[in-house]
Amino acid sequence: MTAGHGDTGAPGRGTAEDGPLLELAGITQTYGERTVLRIESLRIARGARLAVVGPNGSGKSTLLRVLAFLDPPASGEVRLHGAAVAGRAARRAARTRVTLVEQRPFLFKGTVLDNVAWGLRARGRPRPDIERAARTALALLGSEGLAGRDARAVSEGEVQRVAVARALATEPAALLLDEPVSGADRAAQHALYAAIATAQAERPLAVVVASHQLEDAYRWADDLLALHDGAPTPVTPENLFRVELPGGGGNQEVAVGGGVIIQVTTDRAGPATLAIPPDEIVLSREPLHSSARNAVQGRIVRVAEQGAVMRVTVAGGVELVALITGKSFADLGLGIGTGVVASFKSVAVRVF
Amino acid sequence: MTAEVLGIAALSLRVALLATLVACLLGIPLGVWLGSTAFAGHRMAVLLLNTALALPTVVVGLALYLLLSRHGPLGMLGMLYTSGAIVVAEIVLAVPITAALAAAAVQGLDPRVRRTALTLGAGPVRAAWAVAQEARLALAAASAVAFGRVLSEVGAALIVGGNIRFETRTLTTAVTLATSQGNFALALALGLVLLAMALTVNAVILLLGGRPR
Repeated sequence: MTAGHGDTGAPGRGTAEDGPLLELAGITQTYGERTVLRIESLRIARGARLAVVGPNGSGKSTLLRVLAFLDPPASGEVRLHGAAVAGRAARRAARTRVTLVEQRPFLFKGTVLDNVAWGLRARGRPRPDIERAARTALALLGSEGLAGRDARAVSEGEVQRVAVARALATEPAALLLDEPVSGADRAAQHALYAAIATAQAERPLAVVVASHQLEDAYRWADDLLALHDGAPTPVTPENLFRVELPGGGGNQEVAVGGGVIIQVTTDRAGPATLAIPPDEIVLSREPLHSSARNAVQGRIVRVAEQGAVMRVTVAGGVELVALITGKSFADLGLGIGTGVVASFKSVAVRVF
Repeated sequence: MTAEVLGIAALSLRVALLATLVACLLGIPLGVWLGSTAFAGHRMAVLLLNTALALPTVVVGLALYLLLSRHGPLGMLGMLYTSGAIVVAEIVLAVPITAALAAAAVQGLDPRVRRTALTLGAGPVRAAWAVAQEARLALAAASAVAFGRVLSEVGAALIVGGNIRFETRTLTTAVTLATSQGNFALALALGLVLLAMALTVNAVILLLGGRPR
């Protein structure tokens, strides 16, 4: 479950023959003596949705700054459209194609509209185009009402949306978001991801989101890069749910939201996080007669191909990610919209 | 007498404004660059700049005198004892002020300003401009300090200007002369004119710098 080696991106968006948008090869980054990032290989397709997950200090922001061509790596090569980007002038040119929205975005003095127009003005676009594009970008984030407001007088969540609008207004080939939802509420988060989806539907746009909020990253992304101490790691808990365990020991029934109740085998009680490993989930067209205590009915909403394995997202009250082989996927005749049952044993549910 | 005082005040203002303007045009870009760029020898450059803040005005006057005097390397310019020479001296004194204060202002600024400008596709010049915009208030203060230094400076103006009546007599050199002649009423009056001028120009600079947020 890592994008550390291989392509990212769902089939249909970013085909193999036009090559990846961004590529890292043998990248390390250092602060003083300390190596804070070490990525052998990473390829980000045009139109990819890559989530970079990991705890604070795992190198997510460092990676984004390298990808954004803000910081040159200590060693290794960053490629854009297959061409190595090295030197100040090349990085500067590349920055007009890739843009980063920081965890706490900075808004310049002036109005919200001035801010959203900033990148377009830096590109010397004609004035009427700038205003129109800026307003369109704001509208995409549902923030057209903010246009005339003083940028220093908007709320934290609004700052986030304005910054994303400002980045999208420049029509980048890649949008990098560092912890985009840490300060925002759930509705704002939904609006943000919806806006990105709309932008991606209109034109090729690779989106990389760094987050320590695993479940959001997983649900949204096509692919995932988990970092630990600056290096890709294969260990990534999937299908996470924050729950309140009723207690009572043994088998417990717990609501995970969306009207879905999961059976868990644990002695614990109180607040906990449940994780269902994607390779423990069995997909079938009909309910199974088996020892699996859990069966969630839903429809396939996303499919990502990772070599011989398909990463299938099933929505049925909650979203579950299951890993199945490409052969099973074909044999069962699965596709986007297919109704399936996701089954897993209560002992497969990890509690932590 | 009044006409003469007005003439002196006008010359002082002209010299001070011109020197401040040039010092801002040279010093602020230098300071913004120093404050936002890391390079080998950066600390040494900042140290030299901060030392230049303490340049004694008479030393600058003397050095310039030697350069501009008839047998000096720049003697052919014929600038000694002209108001142009005073302007040059004041520029030398004011550039370290605008540069050092601009560098300090920019160094104290949120690092996200430059990063944000760069990631939005700005080149180095536009990014520096964005930084300057955000530090506008501090840069206005830097130019006000430079103007104050230039307007009130007497040592260099005296040495390279020569305090020639109707030619290079500025308010400060006139105060010096009036005091040495025991004409304290005139000296005080000239001092008040100097203060009023400083007040007016600083008010304008403050307005240009905008309100703090």
